[in-house]
Amino acid sequence: MNPLELTLGIMTAVGGFVDISELVFAAKAGSTFGYALIWVFAFSTVGIIVFSEMSGRVAAVAKQPVFNLVRHRLGLQLGLLTLVASIISNLITCAAEIGGLSLILNYLTGAPYFLMAPVATLVIVISIWILPFKWIERVYGLLGLFMITFAVALIAIHPPWSEVAGGFVPHIPHGLNTKELLTFGYFCVAIVSAVMFPYEVYFYSSGGIEEEWGPKDLLTNRITSIVGMGLGSLLAISILASSAQFFGPAYVDPEIPGSTALQAAIPFGKWGLILALLGMFFAVAGAAVETCMANAYSIAQFFGWRWGRHKKPWEAPRFTIAWIALFVVALSIVLTGVDVMILVELAILFSILVLPLSYLPLLLLAGDRQYMREHANGSIAKGLGWFYFGVITAAALAAIPLYLLTAGGSG
Amino acid sequence: MWRVTLVLAPLAACSSGPYDDVQYIKQARSLGAEWALVNEQASQNKLTSTYVDSMHKWIRQQLGGSSTSLTQPSSRYGEEIQALFHESDNAPPERLRAHVKKLKEIEDQLESA
Repeated sequence: MNPLELTLGIMTAVGGFVDISELVFAAKAGSTFGYALIWVFAFSTVGIIVFSEMSGRVAAVAKQPVFNLVRHRLGLQLGLLTLVASIISNLITCAAEIGGLSLILNYLTGAPYFLMAPVATLVIVISIWILPFKWIERVYGLLGLFMITFAVALIAIHPPWSEVAGGFVPHIPHGLNTKELLTFGYFCVAIVSAVMFPYEVYFYSSGGIEEEWGPKDLLTNRITSIVGMGLGSLLAISILASSAQFFGPAYVDPEIPGSTALQAAIPFGKWGLILALLGMFFAVAGAAVETCMANAYSIAQFFGWRWGRHKKPWEAPRFTIAWIALFVVALSIVLTGVDVMILVELAILFSILVLPLSYLPLLLLAGDRQYMREHANGSIAKGLGWFYFGVITAAALAAIPLYLLTAGGSG
Repeated sequence: MWRVTLVLAPLAACSSGPYDDVQYIKQARSLGAEWALVNEQASQNKLTSTYVDSMHKWIRQQLGGSSTSLTQPSSRYGEEIQALFHESDNAPPERLRAHVKKLKEIEDQLESA
């Protein structure tokens, strides 16, 4: 285990944790329910750690990316359904990220939103084309560390730490009426979905295969998943806590992603604002890369095409065309003028529906001693895996009714 | 899928009238509060002028959307949202917060009804 590689891996995971959905829902959760939803972020983070670690282990030992497993374990029909649903979910998520990027560029430069969308997409496409896989991941992940501004801003405003700590204890606030309870339920589902987005696992496991992980990398995989995602989650929790402090009492339920950057501007002024916007830009750009590449990986793996960024683009032509085409489609969605916040809500909704079908084959193979030998799930991974599978299945069943009953969380 | 639609359609149809407008009142109230916060921080020289201009543009655009989505635009809350919409970009935070307060009161009344 190379300490430098491990540190870079952890920092990349921290910087790459937050995306546009987490930015939006963390801020809204804090303004609507104070610190009461912190535990849902913490709880979901354990879930994504469990499945990321599992997918990295399967990639290292069985050399199987997620969508190979989906096809072989679910069969052609159910596998194809999972593929189509995940393509739609990732595409909407990618469009939301590109829309978010254009907004952030608009806040930073004042350049028109509809001009910034193709510019941002082009820059991302060029960066994927020219950078090796490891550096695609690292450039966006490491620059996303500007997001630490939000954690520093939280410390600077001296929030009531005992109340923040109390938010980590699972509870439902007292005195909520039925409608507020339903809204609280919708936020729980949305946060589970935002933190456990399936694209993160598709990208992570495909990355493991791109980097030719083997059993010697299992410890690095475990530490990167636990520490990187754990610390990354603290950034999202910082946004939630600052929102509870600033936005809730001011009757702000952030309707515009740019409002979140105010959290750093209030204690630190213009430089806080600029650093926060840069952090948001790189974190969201990294997520746009991951969602689009995750889709191309899924399609290529399902149909057995040659795939990977370790190959020259022309050595895997269908894979290359797929990721470029997916960016073009996502950009087209943004250029229709659809509101970014609507895209975020749809991304959350579609993702939670896909989660159980994505994670079930992974769970089955990670526990299969024939493939995984001594690296198969132990009792803790097995217990946690099935527990979280139950949670995401329940969340998937509740998602649409809660969305309709609460008008997308607006009550 | 059609079964899901059949089950969910009655749930979606449970609300009507001013109740339908609560989500737009909430949205307008929040946008007004965001606007006030932006102007307050801008007056303390804590924001870049590019950011402030962009936020004003997006807030106004979203407010226009909330206003046109109302089922009862000539109601008290419809007029309040219109009054907020017609404030100048650099309106004092206190004035914007006065609209926010009125919208919050209407929102609470409708929700408790």
